[in-house]
Amino acid sequence: MFLINCPYCGERDQSEFSAGGEAHIVRPKQPTELSDDQWAEFLFMRKNIKGIQLERWNHAHGCRKWFNMVRDTSNDKIHAVYKMGEKPPIK
Amino acid sequence: MNKNLRTTNSNFIDQTSRISFKFDGKTLYGFKGDTLASALLANDIHLVGRSFKYHRPRGIMTCGSEEPNAIVQLGNDLSMTEPNTRATEIELYEGLEATSQNCWPSVNFDIGAINNFLSPFLPAAFYYKTFMWPASFWKKYEYFIRKSAGLGKSPTKPDKDIYDHRYLHCDVLIVGGGISGIIAAKIAAQNNLNTVLLDDKNNLGGTTIFQDNECFKINNSYSNEWLKKEIESLNSFKNLTIKKRTTLAAYHSYNYLLARENLTDHLSLDEKKNKIRQRLWKIRAKKVIIASGAMERPLIFNNNDRPGIILSTSIKKYIDYYGVKCGQKISLFTNNDTAYETAISLNKSGVSVNSVIDIRDKSNSAIVKEAEKLGIKIYWKHTVVNTSGYKRINSIELMKLSDDGTAVVENKTKEECDCLGISGGWTPRVHLFTQSGGKLKFIDKDNIFLPDKSVSEQISIGSCNGDFELDDVIKNSIKSIKNFLNINSSDYENLKINCSKETDKKNIWLLPSNKPLGKTKPFLDFQNDSTAKDVKLALREGFKSIEHVKRYTTTGMGTDQGKLSNMHALGIIAETAEVKMSELGTTTFRPPYTPLTFGAIVGRNVGEFFDITRRTPIHEWHVEQKAEFENVGQWKRAWYYPKSKETMYEAVQRESKAARDSAGILDASTLGKIDIQGSDASEFLNRVYTNAWSKLEIGKCRYGLMLNEDGMVYDDGVTTRLGENHYIMTTTTGGAANVLSKLEDYLQTEWPELDVYLTSVTDNYATVSICGPNSKKILSKVIPDLDLSDKEFPHMSFKNALINNIKCRVMRISFTGEHSYEINIQSNYGKSLWEKCIEAGNEFNITPYGTEAMHLLRAEKGFIIAGQDTDGTMTPVDLQMDWIISKKKYDFIGKRSLYRSDTIREDRKQLVGLLTDDPKEVLEEGAQIVAEAKKKPVEMLGHVTSSYFSPNLNKSIALAVVVNGKKLKGQKMFVPMENKTINVTITDTVFLDKENKRLNA
Amino acid sequence: MLNYNSPINDTKKYPEIEISEVEPIIKLNLRGKNRDFITKVGKVLSIIPPTDPNTSSGNDNLSILWLGPDEWMVYANDKNALNDRGILEDKLFNEISKVKLGSVTNVTDHLVMINIRGNKVFELLSTGCPFNFNDFMNSKGATTQTLLNHVDIIIHNKNVNDLNLFVRRSFSNHLWSWINDSASRL
Repeated sequence: MFLINCPYCGERDQSEFSAGGEAHIVRPKQPTELSDDQWAEFLFMRKNIKGIQLERWNHAHGCRKWFNMVRDTSNDKIHAVYKMGEKPPIK
Repeated sequence: MNKNLRTTNSNFIDQTSRISFKFDGKTLYGFKGDTLASALLANDIHLVGRSFKYHRPRGIMTCGSEEPNAIVQLGNDLSMTEPNTRATEIELYEGLEATSQNCWPSVNFDIGAINNFLSPFLPAAFYYKTFMWPASFWKKYEYFIRKSAGLGKSPTKPDKDIYDHRYLHCDVLIVGGGISGIIAAKIAAQNNLNTVLLDDKNNLGGTTIFQDNECFKINNSYSNEWLKKEIESLNSFKNLTIKKRTTLAAYHSYNYLLARENLTDHLSLDEKKNKIRQRLWKIRAKKVIIASGAMERPLIFNNNDRPGIILSTSIKKYIDYYGVKCGQKISLFTNNDTAYETAISLNKSGVSVNSVIDIRDKSNSAIVKEAEKLGIKIYWKHTVVNTSGYKRINSIELMKLSDDGTAVVENKTKEECDCLGISGGWTPRVHLFTQSGGKLKFIDKDNIFLPDKSVSEQISIGSCNGDFELDDVIKNSIKSIKNFLNINSSDYENLKINCSKETDKKNIWLLPSNKPLGKTKPFLDFQNDSTAKDVKLALREGFKSIEHVKRYTTTGMGTDQGKLSNMHALGIIAETAEVKMSELGTTTFRPPYTPLTFGAIVGRNVGEFFDITRRTPIHEWHVEQKAEFENVGQWKRAWYYPKSKETMYEAVQRESKAARDSAGILDASTLGKIDIQGSDASEFLNRVYTNAWSKLEIGKCRYGLMLNEDGMVYDDGVTTRLGENHYIMTTTTGGAANVLSKLEDYLQTEWPELDVYLTSVTDNYATVSICGPNSKKILSKVIPDLDLSDKEFPHMSFKNALINNIKCRVMRISFTGEHSYEINIQSNYGKSLWEKCIEAGNEFNITPYGTEAMHLLRAEKGFIIAGQDTDGTMTPVDLQMDWIISKKKYDFIGKRSLYRSDTIREDRKQLVGLLTDDPKEVLEEGAQIVAEAKKKPVEMLGHVTSSYFSPNLNKSIALAVVVNGKKLKGQKMFVPMENKTINVTITDTVFLDKENKRLNA
Repeated sequence: MLNYNSPINDTKKYPEIEISEVEPIIKLNLRGKNRDFITKVGKVLSIIPPTDPNTSSGNDNLSILWLGPDEWMVYANDKNALNDRGILEDKLFNEISKVKLGSVTNVTDHLVMINIRGNKVFELLSTGCPFNFNDFMNSKGATTQTLLNHVDIIIHNKNVNDLNLFVRRSFSNHLWSWINDSASRL
């Protein structure tokens, strides 16, 4: 059970959050101009990394804000959290 | 049986308060402070159970949570009985009843023991190997295997006990109240840290608290006396919480730990009543100090499992702590100094010690010299090669070890005894450390695994970190604690510690015998009856991974999870396979550390609190009218309102008919409602719904369909424009929370430039829906000053109104196809408004209808229910709702997916209507639809999604999804059921009032 | 005449704990992102909405709770403020929502306010709330949104061992029973 540092509310129990999958997948601005393959790439393809992963989380039972997280999936260490629209602090 | 096995020198047992208890039906006595195990031993009872596979007699072997043998059935009440409890952990209470497990008819005469003689035919994985063939016989085998398998009996009735959960947040959590844990608690508390100390026993102090030996002194006091004072000094700290009888069950990431506190298990039956039995603590600690200690190891030799063979330190605890003699002629067998402390304690209490058999060549430690001084006989470089005594050990045979330790030499010596103490050294309890994600390292010198790299804020101190000598334990603990808590000095800077230091070490995982291995029974896992032989067989048969060997031989798979002798299994595997212990690794230690009751896991979430329930503001009225309720998500919704003796079918038919004949009233308060404000509200709706919203006039309503990005229908509902920048959206009952969260997601992540705010107002409004040809007349009675003419208040529009000065919103929208209105009023007036509508509608026979009639009514009109007629694989085109997809809009959620190669396939499943040839035949929802009834294998073309008998059409109607259904209108199909095949025809989805005349009726 | 039916309408006393529904209490949800929004709310209510997370501000009549970086809740401190509820809401709506500064939504009946007071308040919460109250309990005015036995709640730490808990109306009966069951077992 993680202890997650919501960038708005501070440290909270994981049960207050919901996970939203891989971060930084931008919805195409002009979907109509994409081929089926390009659209499918956006729609379906997600990484499943062992190691450092960038993820979306939502403080669903708190401030309702979405934010991003840098997490090592091999040991669950959360290296950083950052707000939507910000660049990941770790490359 | 009249032997006096009690001494009078225990400070921990209250010999003035006698307790009676029953074991296997026989009434026995013990004292306050006893465990069931110590009381049984005091009554000279060693044999308490039978082993799992061979049904060999087994006795008490330890004094703690690692006990493999003495597991008993506690209580005999069908709702409270508890199997597999460890007699070594059960505190004695007045009225306790316990019985042996895994034996029939009794522990003394057990028919299953025949397996012991069949054991040559029952090798490792016997069941896997034997019951494979023929496959069809498995059902027969299974019956017999299930009958003879399993330990203990589960309760068959609901648990009457009360359990509880608590959250706890602290700066420092210390697990284990032995000497290092006590030191840690005091240092943390003295430094103003919010500290919690847990121990699974009813007394703090670990093994040091009964270390009454002049070889071990701290500041010139005996170590136990010194520790006792330290424990007393802890009472003065307000920032220190001590929880006894509390076992740490699990250690999760980010220092989230679960601990089970026993609150009443030690109380008499009367005292237990109406009290919380166990509490599960959910602990979040900034820092964790593990001081969980070490477990003494057994030794692995031929017939090492007889009742009366007990770990040496347990014998010491029974004599020094409980004042119980485990025997009167005790032999000790060891590879280290521990057994000598036991020998000295026994000697002091007047129990005769036959001898100490030590596999080492010599030892010069103080404690060994002390034992020699007392005249205790020591056999150096000897091993036990066999034991005798079926239900209780009565003698041992020993022989000299060869120089390399792989064989025995010279003649056998026989020694009579009624108890054998064994000590194979110590295994640090690293379970919690590894549960937290820590990695272990192997220390060759001591043959132990120790904590290495940790991923959380924690340290291990004391013997669980590999310090076994008193001075090392204290000094290294203090150093680690100060470092970990960033503290410069403590009370313990200049302690003077005297202790015996071990000078010689020797370890042999599997001790040699004068017989070949095949003829011996050196047990590794006492509960599951796996021997060193079984492990070697597994290796010969090609198993290499320790995880595979474990499952093949069942070593370490019992209720004790092999705490005692997993290390020996690893050692024997490493030796046989010629790999290093460090390379072999260990099996994974998973939570819980000791078994947890289901009650503790569930807590108070039983009965009324099993699941969360939500009520509408009109709930009480439905209850008063004896409505049947349906669970919709967490909501309790009125399902139908049976009049005296009416069946559900009859009630639903009556309600559905009344709604179309005159007037019906529905509690629609559960619909999700989202208040939308902001200058970009219209643009936002354009992006989230498939249809266009910019031109919707203020005061008008529109139905919208929401898709997932993959083009599949997600939710639907009516949205009303309340003002220039102000809308109110309704969602399905079940979809409310998900829709809001999804919309927030888009606003926050994809479209942060939009000026839009969403606020849930689902619970703020009660929604009363009145439908039917007389709905207008009824509403005009409720709100007389509202102009209800079609011109002023047409279908799909909204009005603000006042009812007795209370603001409300009235929408003229319809989910039944009837002329109807929805009144939204603040919730606390909802019930009163409902009653007012019923009163006004009385003259029109206004009929309350539930969710079932609502489903029927909308099906007559072919309206979908998202989640019933759709399942996440239906596009609007599949639903024949092409009309709702805007062609003009550049983009909306899911638009691009509507012309992916897969979504434009013609042979997708599409929503159609179904009529049965026999109008009385009602299809089952979920039934399959086929084109050819007799073809095999039958090709399933679709299934029924909604099906009812329509009282308004007087025939059966259904909605279904069928491959290429759009083009199959008029086509005959079949619905094969278990006993018959039903003939159906594919039709349009709208069964009633195709021209929508009733909306304005 | 329409009758007013609050869902609980009850007070319960246990050793060192008292629980009661307080109604009717005006509650408004405010959302906005820029400084003008904050200034305008401050002008209309004579209280500046707090910008520090998990805090509140207030005066004799009203309290404003921080719910998120762009979300607040205003509620009346006592029942008598009910008379001008419409006026307050309309004024805020006209000066904020109508002029595109943010949103103003009436949540008076969306949320039920339960007052819990007594020495065992935080012990009671620890039976079902994963939130760490160690600092919270000593800080007057502290506010948090969290879960109590899996139900979303807002807590406003009004005074020493005296707090207001807000829960959605539809969950309120269930949570009320659960809280009472908890309180009876402390």
